[in-house]
Amino acid sequence: MISVSGVRKSFGAATVLNGVDLEIRQGEVVSVLGSSGSGKSTLIRCINGLEKIDAGKITVDNFDVSKPRELSEARKRSGTVFQLFNLYPHMTAVQNVALAPVEVLKVPRKQAEAEARELLKSVGLSDRADAYPSQLSGGQRQRVGICRALAMKPSYLLLDEVTSALDPEMTSEVLSILAKLAKGGTTMVFVTHEIEFARSISTRIAFLDKGTLIADLPTEEFFSDKGMALPRVAQFLSKMRKD
Amino acid sequence: MKFDLSILAKHIPFLLEGAWLTLQACTLAVIGSLVLGLAVGAMRTSASPLLNRLAAVYVDIFRNIPFIVQLFFFYFGLPEIGIYIDAFTTGVVALSIAGGAFTSDVIRSGILAIDPGVIEAAQVSGLKKSTIFRRIILPIALRASIRPLGSVFVNLILTSSILSTITLNELTGSAKIVASNTFRPFEVYFVLLVAYAALTYTVSILIGMLHRHLNRHQAEGAV
Repeated sequence: MISVSGVRKSFGAATVLNGVDLEIRQGEVVSVLGSSGSGKSTLIRCINGLEKIDAGKITVDNFDVSKPRELSEARKRSGTVFQLFNLYPHMTAVQNVALAPVEVLKVPRKQAEAEARELLKSVGLSDRADAYPSQLSGGQRQRVGICRALAMKPSYLLLDEVTSALDPEMTSEVLSILAKLAKGGTTMVFVTHEIEFARSISTRIAFLDKGTLIADLPTEEFFSDKGMALPRVAQFLSKMRKD
Repeated sequence: MKFDLSILAKHIPFLLEGAWLTLQACTLAVIGSLVLGLAVGAMRTSASPLLNRLAAVYVDIFRNIPFIVQLFFFYFGLPEIGIYIDAFTTGVVALSIAGGAFTSDVIRSGILAIDPGVIEAAQVSGLKKSTIFRRIILPIALRASIRPLGSVFVNLILTSSILSTITLNELTGSAKIVASNTFRPFEVYFVLLVAYAALTYTVSILIGMLHRHLNRHQAEGAV
């Protein structure tokens, strides 16, 4: 379980997370929605320890991410996929995927690379496995990014606006993979602007507004009268649908 | 005066010995300055204020003192306090230390130019700091630094001619001897000029090849 309780985070004078509580259990797909600047990405960055929280507590399977010793255990349990892919530019797709299993989990290189090829095959990239990031399209890069996170066999997948840098065609190729993963039971925290997609794959929706979690509801309830009863949610949904 | 290179024929073996010494000293100094530059470059980008400061002081000192003064201090100054080092070792060490200051600056900018997101990706996947440095930061920074490193190394080769001032008969030193023995400074220094140009030009070409080879997959405009 990922447990976020009373988390506060400020950058200088700007409060980005203002006392957030959220729990994500195994098997759930939780989409985090909210307008830009609402703190969605920061929440993910706090869970994987890239940002230090000012107050509160975050644990991943009971490992406290604010303690350096426990952070490495917490990080082994979660995989992150980034908006801008962040692939290692000097390594091929296979090398990108196999690096952490070899270095962190001590999997023999040959085995790790064979598993990496299997993963890449599962996202339709078997023929691009030996290409470098600069030789791949955005959608292909993000699929490699997903494989890199999955290679560590994480209990939780953290997805930080993974399709925001992609055009509609590439977005759909990435989303179809995520849908497959969700169906397969992968636990996900999905920060996104893809509302309709979030609705189709999520078990729960968390809605952040100016650093405060103003809704945390099962998906059907969020998109029904109950969610609409919240003025900020209703406003956000109607605006997003108009666009 | 007639320009006549043939009079140098019998001095060629002696000049080649000097060239060989230059080559040895420069090779060792390039390796030394690279190792030193990597360590200091890493220190200058580290989170520790102490390491950072130490590295900055080193760079500031050795970049702001003429090489010949550093060399004289090591070779003529240190024996006064009981430290005797032979001319060749002194030369290589002095070149490495001076070169290391410039090399570290190049490595530092190479490290600072790395997309922070790439390093974050490595961190969240659980890689240790040392592994991130070895497998991610260093290879990316070195690839970006090959060309500027090449300029530093060319400079180092040119600077190695100053080693002739501490009794080391490398290329310049042996040319000086030949010039004074033959009374033909024009021909001798003409040959010296061509020899250095050939040496540094070869290094430049090799650096260019290495740069293209290491960056062959990055050419298509990576993110």
